[in-house]
Amino acid sequence: MGLLPDEAKVLPPPGIVNRNSLWFGLCGWATAMLHNSLNRRPALKAGVHRQALFITVGWFIGYHLTKYENYKYATLDRDMKEYMRLHPDVFPEKEPKTFAEIVEPFHPIR
Amino acid sequence: MPLDRLLLRTSTVNKMISRNSFIASKPDPSKPNMLRVGLAFGSTAVLWALLFKQHRTDVHEYKTRNGLQ
Repeated sequence: MGLLPDEAKVLPPPGIVNRNSLWFGLCGWATAMLHNSLNRRPALKAGVHRQALFITVGWFIGYHLTKYENYKYATLDRDMKEYMRLHPDVFPEKEPKTFAEIVEPFHPIR
Repeated sequence: MPLDRLLLRTSTVNKMISRNSFIASKPDPSKPNMLRVGLAFGSTAVLWALLFKQHRTDVHEYKTRNGLQ
């Protein structure tokens, strides 16, 4: 965690397979295939080492980006909850209403 | 020194970077640069190993800090 502070280690780490990793891996693969195409090579079958490397780099970046994203959202949630705790007058507890009370009376026109 | 004389060096010094038409050749797919391929696969393996190690460390840290294990 180079750009994450120590407190971020309290959060559950993302799985190896996570949304950002998949997307960045796919982008890396697309880059490698584009590189093949632009050099007039068969897109899928050529330069497999390059495809593997780009997918891996994308996956790696995606994993760390997910960790960073989780930390940022956690800090936002914490600050929001703290604000709600310090200003309870702005957040009154509302009685849950049933649909019967909210919905207007129904007058069928047939 | 005129620029042409300086550029004459490029053919011997940096064949990879310059595309001097006197020494350029078409990249030959039947003769792969095994060093580059080996480096690519090697760095791929290293990155995956780093990723799994980092994940393992993260899971362990999470568990110890939250008193789960």
